[in-house]
Amino acid sequence: MKRTMLKLATSVVACGALVASLNAADVIKIGVQAPITGKYANEGQSIDNGVKLIVAQYNANGGVLGKKLEVVSCDDEGVAQKAAICARKLVNAGVLAVIGSYTSGATEAAQTTYFRNKVLQTSDGTSDSLTKHKYWTFFRNSFPNSAEAKFTANYLVNVKKYKKIVILSDFSSYSTGLADATVKAIKSLNGNVIYSGKIKSGTQNFTAVLTKIKSMKPDVIYFSGYYNDGGLLRAQQIQLGIKADFVGGDSNDNPDFMKLAGDSAKGTFLINVPTPDILPYDIAKKFLKDYKAKYGMMPASIWTLLNIDGLRAVLYGVKETKSTNTKKISDFLHNLKGFPGITGPVNFRSDGERIGGGYMAYEVQGDNSYKIVYK
Amino acid sequence: MRQSYKIAILFLIVMGVFPLFSNSAWLAVGTTFLIYSVVAFSQDIILGRAGAFQMGQAVFFGLGAYTTAILNVQFGVPIIYTFIPAIIIPLILAIILAGPVIHLRGDYLLIATIGFNIIFIQVVQNNVFELTGGPNGIFGIDVVKIFGIEFMSQTAVYYMSFILLALTLWIMRNLDASKFGRAMFYINKDDIAAQSMGINVRYYKLYAFALGSAIAGAAGSMFAIQYSAVSPEAFNVVQSIMFFTIVLVGGSASLPGVLIGTFVMFVLPEIFREFATARYLVFGLAMILTMILRPRGIWPVKFGNIPNYLKKDKK
Amino acid sequence: MDIFLQQLINGLTVGSLYALVALGYTMVYGVMKLINFAHGDLVALSAFAGLTIYVQIFGEAKSSLFLVLGVFIITALLIAVVGVLLERLAYRPLRMAPRLSAVVSALGASLVIQNAIMLIWGPNMKIFPSNLFPSTIWTVHNVVFTFTQVMIMGVSAVLMIGLYIFINKTKMGTAIRATAIDQDAAKLMGINVNRVIMIIFIIGSSLGAVAGLFIGINYRGITFDMGWMYGLNAFVAAIMGGIGNIPGAMFGGILLGLFNAMISGYISSEWAQTFTFVLLIVILIFRPTGILGETIAEKV
Repeated sequence: MKRTMLKLATSVVACGALVASLNAADVIKIGVQAPITGKYANEGQSIDNGVKLIVAQYNANGGVLGKKLEVVSCDDEGVAQKAAICARKLVNAGVLAVIGSYTSGATEAAQTTYFRNKVLQTSDGTSDSLTKHKYWTFFRNSFPNSAEAKFTANYLVNVKKYKKIVILSDFSSYSTGLADATVKAIKSLNGNVIYSGKIKSGTQNFTAVLTKIKSMKPDVIYFSGYYNDGGLLRAQQIQLGIKADFVGGDSNDNPDFMKLAGDSAKGTFLINVPTPDILPYDIAKKFLKDYKAKYGMMPASIWTLLNIDGLRAVLYGVKETKSTNTKKISDFLHNLKGFPGITGPVNFRSDGERIGGGYMAYEVQGDNSYKIVYK
Repeated sequence: MRQSYKIAILFLIVMGVFPLFSNSAWLAVGTTFLIYSVVAFSQDIILGRAGAFQMGQAVFFGLGAYTTAILNVQFGVPIIYTFIPAIIIPLILAIILAGPVIHLRGDYLLIATIGFNIIFIQVVQNNVFELTGGPNGIFGIDVVKIFGIEFMSQTAVYYMSFILLALTLWIMRNLDASKFGRAMFYINKDDIAAQSMGINVRYYKLYAFALGSAIAGAAGSMFAIQYSAVSPEAFNVVQSIMFFTIVLVGGSASLPGVLIGTFVMFVLPEIFREFATARYLVFGLAMILTMILRPRGIWPVKFGNIPNYLKKDKK
Repeated sequence: MDIFLQQLINGLTVGSLYALVALGYTMVYGVMKLINFAHGDLVALSAFAGLTIYVQIFGEAKSSLFLVLGVFIITALLIAVVGVLLERLAYRPLRMAPRLSAVVSALGASLVIQNAIMLIWGPNMKIFPSNLFPSTIWTVHNVVFTFTQVMIMGVSAVLMIGLYIFINKTKMGTAIRATAIDQDAAKLMGINVNRVIMIIFIIGSSLGAVAGLFIGINYRGITFDMGWMYGLNAFVAAIMGGIGNIPGAMFGGILLGLFNAMISGYISSEWAQTFTFVLLIVILIFRPTGILGETIAEKV
C-alpha cells in the first residue's frame, strides 16, 4: 500500500513540475528527428549538430521574431517504429517544424503524424513516395530518386556503355524505390539488366549472393543501398574476384564506405549531388568553416547540408510571414523562388518536391578523395 | 488475493483521473504504460500462471497491430471493425503454433518461441503478399471513428487503452476463480498428480496461450492506433524478452508485480531519457540483483498460484 | 559446380565461426543447464577489445602474423577473465535457484555487457583495419579462398580437435563430462565442481574470443549489439547438433553455416533466417535431443 502511495505522490509532483515548465513560452521550438544512434549514427549526429549550430547562430542575432529558438532532438535510430514514436513526442513537445529524418523510411513513418498535427517537416529522404500524399506540411530538401535514376541510367548505358548490368538494393523503401526507378530508366534506354536482387542490410556477409552474381559475369554492379553495406559489398566483391565495376547510389556517399571497403574503395564510382567541398557558394563555405570550428570535424556528408537548407528555408518563412502559423509558412514556402541555399537555389513545388538539382558521378581515388568523372 | 484487488482498484482510479493533471506528452507516456501493461498481463497468463516458457509474446502483440494496420491501410476497413480480427487472428495462430511445441521441456520451448518470433519478423520484413509493408512497416493508420466522430486526441486514445486494461484486469480476476485458475493451481503444485486426477495439462496450457494471445492482439490494435504506424522492430525478440523479464522480475502471477515491472521497463526509460545511455546497463544490473536477492520477484504473490518452477528445483 | 564449391567455402567459413561460439554455449548448458545469453556479447566484446589492443598497443605499424597472434592471445585471456567474473557474479549465486532465475540473470548480464561496450566504445560502428591478415587470395578452378577464410577454417579445426582431445583424453575432461551427467554424483566422487565450471567458462570464453576477433577481421564492421544475433544462431547450431554434446556443437555449427550459405545462395537471402528457424523447430519437435543426441540422461 505504502509503495503505491509513494508512486502516486511522485507522479503527481512530476506532472506538476512539467506543467509549470511548459508555461515558459516565447520560445520557438525546432524539432530534430534523426538516427543519432544506430546504423546511420554519423549522419544523424551530423544533422543534429548542424541544426544546433544554425540555431545558436540565429539566437546570437536575437532569435527569430524576437523569440529564442530551442532545439528538441529525438533519436529515431534510423528505424521506422522509433520514428513514429519520435513523431508523437515532438508533436507533444510543441515544435513548429521538424528537421528529419535522414532515411526515407523513418521520414515516411512520421509524416502522417506531423501532417495531422500541422507540424512542418523537411527531410533529405529521396524516396519518391514521400511526396505522393502531397501533404502541405512536407518539404523535401533533396532531390527525388526518379531524378537520380534517370542520371544513373544515362551514365551506365550511354556514357560507360556497360553491357551486363547487375542491380542490387536492400529492403528499405528508399533503396528498392531507387533500384526500381533505375531499372525502369535503364530499360527505357535499352540497357541490359541481367540480374536484380536484394541484400538484407546489416548482415555483413554477402558472399552468397555475390557468388551467384559472379557466375553471371557482369561488367558492373550498381548498389542503391546505404554506405555501411555498400562498403562491405565492394570489399567482398573484390575478394571473390569479381571483375566488375562498382557504382554506388547516393547513400553510399559517406566516409565509412571507404573505410569498410578498405583497399578496394579505390576505383569505385559514386553518384550523388555535389559533395560539400565542391559547392561554389560562399554561404556553403562559411557553414563548413563554422561547423568545423564548433565540432572539430566536417559534417558527415551533403545530406547534412541539405537538411540545413530545409531549416534555413523554414526560418526564413517564419521571418517573412512574421508568424508561427504553419499553414501560412507553408504557403509562403510553396511560392518561394530561388532562396539562396548552401546547396544551391531552393525552390519548392506545390507537392513539397524540391526543384532543380544536378547529379555527378565520382571516382574514388587512392587517397579516398573524389574525382568528378561525369556531370 | 484480496490485497491485490484493492491495489487494482486504486490503480484504476489513479490512472482514470491521470488525464486531468497532465498534458499530451505525459498522456502519451501513460498510454504506452497502459498498452504495455496489457501485453505484460497476457504474458503473465502464459508464463506466470501456466508456467510455459514463452519468449515470443511480441508475435501476438505484433499480429494484432499488423492486422489492424493491414486491414485499415491496405483494405480500407474502418478501425473499429479491425478490433475483432486483431483478437481472433493471434488466437488462431497461437493454437497452431503452440500446439506442436507445448510439450517441450522448458528451455526448448523457450528457444522454439524465440524461433517463432524471428520467423514472424522475417515474414513481415519481406513484405509477404505485398501486404506487410517491408522493413519500414505500414504507416498512415487512420483514427477511430464512431458515428462520424473522430477520436483523434491523445486523451481519447488514452481512455481507449484504459478501458482495455480495465477489461484485462477484470479477466485476470475472474481467471483465478475459474476452472482454469483452479486447474493451474493444481498443475503447478504437482502436474503428474493433476494429470492422474483427470486434468488435461496440455489443454490448459493451450488455453493459456490462446487467451494470452487474444489479449496481446487487442493491445496490438491499440498500439497501431496510438502511433499511426507499425513496423517490425516494435515486435522483435528484444521486446519479447522485455515482457518475459517483466513477469519474472516483477513477480509471476502478481498483479502489482507485473504493473511495477511494466512501469520500470517501459515507463522509466521515457522519464529518464537523459540517462539514456546508462539506463539499460542499470536495468541489466537490476535484473541480476533482483534474481539474486528477490528470486520470486519484486512484489511476489502471497497466496496460492505459485508455479512450482519458481520454487527450488527438484533434483 | 564451382558456384557450389564457392558457396561451400563461404558456408564452411561462417560455420567454423558458429561452431566456435556454439561450443561455449553447449559446454555451459551441458554442465549447468543454463542458456548463457551473455555469451554472444562476450564474442562482441572480444572484437572491440581486440581492435583496441591492436590499434592502441601495437599501433597500426606493419602487421606481422606474430603480432596478430599476440593480439589473439591477449584478447582471449582478457575475455576468459570476464567470463569467469560473469560466472562468479551472475550465475554462481543462483546455482541452487530455479532455472528461470538464472535465465533472467543471464539476460541481465547480456544487457550489462552490451551496454558496457556501448558506453566504452560509443554507439557507432567501429571498423577493423584491413591489414591484419595479408590480402592474399588463392584461386583454384574459379573458386576463391582468401587468406582470412583459410585461417578461420584452419584455426577453428585445430582448436576443435584440441578441445575434443582435452574432453575425451584428459582427467579434467573426464571430470567435465562427469559433472555434465550428474553434478551431485560428481561431487560425491570428489570432483571440484566449482573448478570444473570455472574451466568451462575459461575455455568457452576463449573460443568465443577467437571467433569474435575473426569476425572483426573478416567482416570489418563491428557494432555493440552484434553479439546477440550471432549468439542466438550459435545456440541454434548447438541445439541442432545436440545440446551438451561437444562434437554436436561443432557439427551443428558447420551444418548451420552450410545450410545458411546454400539457402542464401540458391533460394534467397531474405528467407535464410526463416529456413534456419523452421529447421530448428522441426528438429525440436521430432528429435529434440539434436542430430547427434544429448549426452545427459533425460530426467523424468
